[in-house]
Amino acid sequence: MNYLPMIVVFPLIMAIIMNLLHGKEKAVKYITFITAAILIILPFISQYGYYYFGGHGVVDGWVSGIAYLYNPAKQAVIVTLSLIASLVLISGMGEKLTNNMFVTLTLMGFASVAAIVLADDIFNLYVFFEIVSIVQAGLVFLSGTEEAYKAGLRYMILGNVAASLMLLGIAFLLASTGTLNITDMKNYILVDNPMIYGGLLLLIVGLTYGAGLPPFHNVKADLYARSKGFISAMLQTYSKFVLVGLMIVILKLFNGLDYFVSAHGVLIALGVLAMVFGVVMALLQSDYKRLLAYHAISQGGYVATGLALGTPLGIVAGIFHAINHVIYKSALFLGAYIVSHKGGSNLHKLGGLLPLMPSVAFMVLCAKLAISGVPPFNGFQSKWMLAQAAMQVNMPEIAMIMIIVSIGTFVSMMKAFYLIYLKPVDEETLKEYQNKGVPKLAVFSLFVLTALCVIIGIYPDIVTNYLWDYANELGVNYCLK
Amino acid sequence: MDFQMASFITSGLLVIIGLYGVFFVDNVLKKIIALEFLGNGVNLALITIGYNGRIVPIKLPGVSFEVFAKESAYPLTHALVLTNIVIEASMLAVMLGVSIILYKKYKTLKSSVILKED
Repeated sequence: MNYLPMIVVFPLIMAIIMNLLHGKEKAVKYITFITAAILIILPFISQYGYYYFGGHGVVDGWVSGIAYLYNPAKQAVIVTLSLIASLVLISGMGEKLTNNMFVTLTLMGFASVAAIVLADDIFNLYVFFEIVSIVQAGLVFLSGTEEAYKAGLRYMILGNVAASLMLLGIAFLLASTGTLNITDMKNYILVDNPMIYGGLLLLIVGLTYGAGLPPFHNVKADLYARSKGFISAMLQTYSKFVLVGLMIVILKLFNGLDYFVSAHGVLIALGVLAMVFGVVMALLQSDYKRLLAYHAISQGGYVATGLALGTPLGIVAGIFHAINHVIYKSALFLGAYIVSHKGGSNLHKLGGLLPLMPSVAFMVLCAKLAISGVPPFNGFQSKWMLAQAAMQVNMPEIAMIMIIVSIGTFVSMMKAFYLIYLKPVDEETLKEYQNKGVPKLAVFSLFVLTALCVIIGIYPDIVTNYLWDYANELGVNYCLK
Repeated sequence: MDFQMASFITSGLLVIIGLYGVFFVDNVLKKIIALEFLGNGVNLALITIGYNGRIVPIKLPGVSFEVFAKESAYPLTHALVLTNIVIEASMLAVMLGVSIILYKKYKTLKSSVILKED
C-alpha cells in the first residue's frame, strides 16, 4: 500500500478533528503529541514515483486527474518540513492560547505546503497556494493584537491579487497546451508564443508573493514580526518551501528553453534584491523579532538566487540552503520566544540574560553563527555551495554580494546577541527576570534544531545525496561568456 | 465581433478595473469589492478559453455520448472555476470579518488609517 497521499490527507483530517475539540485542553495535548509523532514517520514509509488520485492514470496518452510526484529530493524537503512542524506543535503545547485553533491551522498549513512540493498538477498547486495564504493570516490573527489583524488583512488583500494573477497565468498555460499536468505540459510548451511568456510572468508574480521576495517583502516581514515566536518559525518554514516548490515547477516547465535565458536574469535580480533589502532593513531594526523577520527575507533571497541559476549545482545549493535556513531560523525564532517570556522583544530594554540561561544563550549563539556562515555549522556548507554555483556560471559578482550580505548578517546578529545576553543591567531588572520561568518544551525543540545544525554542518552529504538526482534532471549546464 | 472576443475583452476590463481598485481606492470595503472584480475577470477568462464556439458541457437526455464528446466545450475549465469560486468565497468571508474587527476599533474604513504600516 502506498502511503503517499496520507502526507496531505492525514493532517487535513486531524485538523478537522482538532477543530471540534474546542476547550478540551487535555485531549488536545495528547492528540497533538501523537499527531506530531506520526507526521515524522509518514514521509519515510511512502513510496517513490507518481501517484494518481482516484486511480485516474494515463488515458489515451494524456494524464487526467490530480497527480503527485515523489522522489528523494522532495522527501528531503518534506522530512524537514514535518520535523519542524512537529517541534513547533510540541513547543506550542505549553502555551495557553486557543490551542486547538493553533494546531488546526498548523496542520492545514503543513498539508498545503507538502501538497505544493509534491504536486504534479498545476491547478492543485494553485488551490493549496491559496490555502497557505489564508492559513498564514489565520496564524497571525491568533496572537489577537490590533497590529496582527492589520498585518493579516494587508497580507490577505495582496495575497488575493497575487493568487488571482497566478490563476490567470495558469489559464494562459492551459489555453496554449490544453493540459494541467506538469509532466505533460513540458512536452507541449516548446512552441514559442506570447501566451506562454504571459503565463511564465504571472507564475513569477505568484512566486514572489508566496516567497516574500520584493515587492512583497515588507508585508511578509510584518507578518513574521507580529506573531508569537514559535508561530513565526512555522510561517517562515512555509514560505521557504513554497518558494522551493514553485521554483521547481517553473524550472521543470521552462528550464532549457530559448526564451528562459532572460527569465533567469529576472529571477536572479529578484533574489539579489531580496538579499540586499532584507539585510539592510534588518540592520536598522530595534525590535528583535523584526530583525529576525527581515533576515528571513534576506535568506529567502539566497535560496531564490541559487535555484534561479538553473544549473544542477545551483539547484542542489538552493534546496540545501532552504533546508538549512529553516532549521537555524526556526531555532532563532524559538530563542526569541524564550527571551520574550523574560522581557519582551525590544532590544534596548533587554540585557544581562547570559547568567540566567547560559545553555539557551549557547544554542542561540550556534544558530547565529550558522546563519552568518561560520565553518562548523550548516549555513557555511550551503553558502559555500551557492558561491561555487555562482562562480560556475561565470557570475562572480553574485558570489561577492552573497559574502557581503553574510557580513551584514553577522554584524546585526552579534549586535542583537550583545544587547540581549551581555549588556549589563541594574539589579531590579535582574530580579524581575529571575522570577519569570522558561518554557521547557521550547528549549527541547531548540536543542534538537541546534544539534541538527552541527550534524548537517559536519556531514552535509546526508542531505545533498538525496538532492543530486532530481537536480540533474531539472538543471541545464550553461556558462555566461 | 464574435462572442468569444467580446468575452475576452470583458474579462480583461474586469481584471484592469480590479487591479486599479485594489491599489488606488482608499477604502477597505471597496478594495475587497475590487478583489471580487479581479477574481471574476479571471473566472470569465477561464470559461472563455474552454468555450471555443461549442455547446454547454452538460449531457442532456436526448444527446448521444459521441455527439456530446464532439460538440461540448472543454469541461475542465468549468471545474476549475467552481473550485476557484469556493476559495474566493472563503477568502472574502475572512477578509470581511477582519475588516469588521478593525472598523470597531478605528470607527473608519479608510485604508490609509487602518492598513498603515508602523
